[in-house]
Amino acid sequence: MTRNNTGKEQIIRTICNSHCGGNCEMQVHVKNGRIIRIEPDDREGRPRMCLRGHAYRQRVYAPDRILYPLKRTGPRGAGEFSRISWEEALDTIAFEMKKVKSEYGNAAFLHFCSMCDPHVLHHVGAFHRLLCKFGGYTAPWGFISNEAAAFSAGATYGTYRRYSQVEHDSEEYLKAKYIIMWSWNPVDTEQGTNTPWHLMQAKEKGAKIICVDPRYTDSAAVFADKWIPVRPGTDTAVLVAMANVIINENLHDEGFINSYTSGFEKYKEYVLGSTDGLPKTPEWASAISGVAADEIKEMARLYATEKPAVLATSIAAGRTAFGEQYHRAAAALEAITGNLEFNDWQSRSPKGFRINPHPTPPNQVEQEAPPRWNALPFRGKSVNSSARVNISLFADAILKGKEGGYPADYKFLWLSNTNYLNQLSEVNKTAKAFERLEFMLVTEQFMTASARYADVILPVCTFLERTDIMSPRAASIFGGKNVVGILNKAIEPLGESKSQLQICEALAPKLGITDYGNEPDENRVREIVAQISEEINLPDFETLRKEGIHIIEASPSSDSLKGTHSKPSPKPFSTPSEKIDIYSDVLARMNHPQIPAVPTYIEPWESIHDPLTEKYPLQLITPHIKRRAHSQFDNLPWLRELQEQRLSIHSTDAELRGIRHGDMVRIYNDRGEVRIPADVTERIMPGVVAIPQGAWYTPDKKGIDYGGCANVLTKNATSPGGSFVSSTALVQVEKEDR
Amino acid sequence: MQYGFYFNQNRCMGCFACIVACKDWHDVPAGPVSWIRIKTIEKGRYPDLSVSFLPQLCVHCASPACAAVCPADAITKRGEDGVVVVDSEACLGSTCGLCLDECPYGAPQFGAEEDAKMQKCDLCIERISIGKKPICVSSCPMYALDAGPLDELWAKYGKCREIEGFEYSENVIPSIVFTPRKNSGNSRIRKIEIAPSVKTATSG
Ligand code: SF4
Ligand code: SF4
Repeated sequence: MTRNNTGKEQIIRTICNSHCGGNCEMQVHVKNGRIIRIEPDDREGRPRMCLRGHAYRQRVYAPDRILYPLKRTGPRGAGEFSRISWEEALDTIAFEMKKVKSEYGNAAFLHFCSMCDPHVLHHVGAFHRLLCKFGGYTAPWGFISNEAAAFSAGATYGTYRRYSQVEHDSEEYLKAKYIIMWSWNPVDTEQGTNTPWHLMQAKEKGAKIICVDPRYTDSAAVFADKWIPVRPGTDTAVLVAMANVIINENLHDEGFINSYTSGFEKYKEYVLGSTDGLPKTPEWASAISGVAADEIKEMARLYATEKPAVLATSIAAGRTAFGEQYHRAAAALEAITGNLEFNDWQSRSPKGFRINPHPTPPNQVEQEAPPRWNALPFRGKSVNSSARVNISLFADAILKGKEGGYPADYKFLWLSNTNYLNQLSEVNKTAKAFERLEFMLVTEQFMTASARYADVILPVCTFLERTDIMSPRAASIFGGKNVVGILNKAIEPLGESKSQLQICEALAPKLGITDYGNEPDENRVREIVAQISEEINLPDFETLRKEGIHIIEASPSSDSLKGTHSKPSPKPFSTPSEKIDIYSDVLARMNHPQIPAVPTYIEPWESIHDPLTEKYPLQLITPHIKRRAHSQFDNLPWLRELQEQRLSIHSTDAELRGIRHGDMVRIYNDRGEVRIPADVTERIMPGVVAIPQGAWYTPDKKGIDYGGCANVLTKNATSPGGSFVSSTALVQVEKEDR
Repeated sequence: MQYGFYFNQNRCMGCFACIVACKDWHDVPAGPVSWIRIKTIEKGRYPDLSVSFLPQLCVHCASPACAAVCPADAITKRGEDGVVVVDSEACLGSTCGLCLDECPYGAPQFGAEEDAKMQKCDLCIERISIGKKPICVSSCPMYALDAGPLDELWAKYGKCREIEGFEYSENVIPSIVFTPRKNSGNSRIRKIEIAPSVKTATSG
């Protein structure tokens, strides 16, 4: 990384958005076509980068970046490849795609695109368009991050725009007297850049902050007046018991309940136990969750009376066996106390915001299929189609196909910037599925655990090597104001790497698609800006591109852009009752014992009462770590040296096992084994261990993972609503003896 | 005039943005050298805990022990702003290392290469000369750090010169002021971790 000191230094503005939940401004210093440093925007209040953004230069110039097309030369998973030309790569892919199409039909194609650096042009839409023009493919359903929350929001509000209770604008925090951060660690994860700064301002103004989490996170350390450890998978019980206290003590908000909610009486019956004879008291919840009954009472009382109060229940605790119940219970609690704010989330995006640069014919594979049984009406025909495969179950679908009840047999897998071997449950099972495929295409920047199984790998450039635009959206960081911004290309793509869109453009003609188009990114972005400008006042393109993130001022013509805090009275919700459905008819009609119509605590599988605890007594959770965004950035030396990949284990559990801080430990269950050092700590609940998710799976010959990939141990299953389940798993830990 | 740093321990969330921003700005590779590190200080026992953070960097002392001890006069204190700078050409290298022995704050840094020359935080004098703040200050999303003329920092933030984990030394007179952590509890320190850790420095 030596710097050449001749040549003119240019500063190019762009916006990092690395599937982390952030949007951060970058000033990229470029000299002689190379990035020499990346500077933040130091104006106060602007979205500042995290450590990963600051390390991005190392990502661009990483010695292990894939810069040329590769074809597999060894067995799947061995990671043996040789360089080939783009021509050969594209011809091979096109040949295989045509073969699979004629032998098995289009449903045999699976395509997944994660959100590596998701913007507008270089995004899943580009691939979707290509594949639909090719006759269709099997797409996934289910957000890995937040399907439980989306399911709950869909049932409760009839929209997923407010997909979780952490979707608050900065101004809500600033007004709040009492904030409950629930399984929410914004110091290590991004929930809108600068969220910690807004929380800090709230704290400095005197807000009382509570953290409910099995771990004493960095967020608990910085913000919490009180940390309340809770047993994983039992959050719903605590939320239900809080409702019990509030109803019993008459602290609920009758006015709000009557005006805006439906089904309160039915929930009350469940909460008070009049239907099942079991009142959901704080004592009841305490036995389940490990939270003292008095803590539950106090939290309930303060939340109901110290208004405005904010309940920030994150999506983490939703990634559990019955995650949707947690989100439903949080939504109910917020509504019965009248703590719910009606902000912009309730309205549909204004016209200029719905940009689609990739107009696409319908996906033929989905055309005839009826909706799935657990589909929510608001989500649209396509996502609800039973032709889709739940994202968490795709390996199972490959392994079992039609015989296992899936809609098709799957032969061709295309992973685009997606490391699902690593990031979905039960790695060893997914590896077996990959071995069964006829062809696997991976478009990637690095030789990820998944890429090692590919037949052909195509090199994708980073967002610093292409132009794009961030889609206009409401940004909590600017108090819910709407923003848009241009991502300027800082340097030419390295080696022979291409952008996601360029790859589709190159492949289209080989597949006999003549109308995919082929247009420089910048022209496309100019066109999008022109389109948006028809609806919304924007500066001209040249001004906009120099601005970083542009705050859209309300134009007099468009009502919905008037700023979000004018306290709009709520519009009718798209639920059957047109209100907030605490009792949901839609769920009742699903007629499934584990999808109750009112929020309900259901004991998870692999809980502490599971007989399996005799073998595997510890509950594993798989939180985020600040030096990665999921599996991204794991390979960068600037970040690796900051945090070691370790197992967090409480000192009493460690002592029982003769484990000392720093010892190598085996973490295992029937699904696999991981070996990493132990962090013996007070910062986690006894009985619970944590492996930060996202470390790259690095198995030895026996399949023991030394990389510390948490999903070796997680169970391949979904919640009834379709959630990825990453934090319901039992394991045993012991000291490695060697 | 004396420039110095300010650190607000209530605000720092240990996000490490400052560390990586500094490494990128000054082009310092991963490894033993880090001009700024963050300590994580853990106190108490489950569930009554407190964790706070503290930066470790050069505090541009009024009477720098490193400069006094350097046999090659490689370390000097600039007259105009009091910033302590090192002339790496003149430095005798890591085999000498006297500055590191003398510095109470672990500021001098040596690379892994044989006879590595001393380097350390220079308060981003280059950025300051064009009216900017040091890169750690500019990158901190919590506005936990500041830098500037010490009298201005005192006027703005008060004169607290010592917090848990940082001992004020009369001998060297460090140029840093603090806002100490509220409610950090009285229990003893159980664990201190430092990022990047000197021992786990990785390569490649
Ligand atoms: S990776 Fe970091 S810098 Fe980039 S958008 Fe996310 S939070 Fe911001
Ligand atoms: S950037 Fe600021 S908040 Fe983050 S570790 Fe550094 S001083 Fe602390």
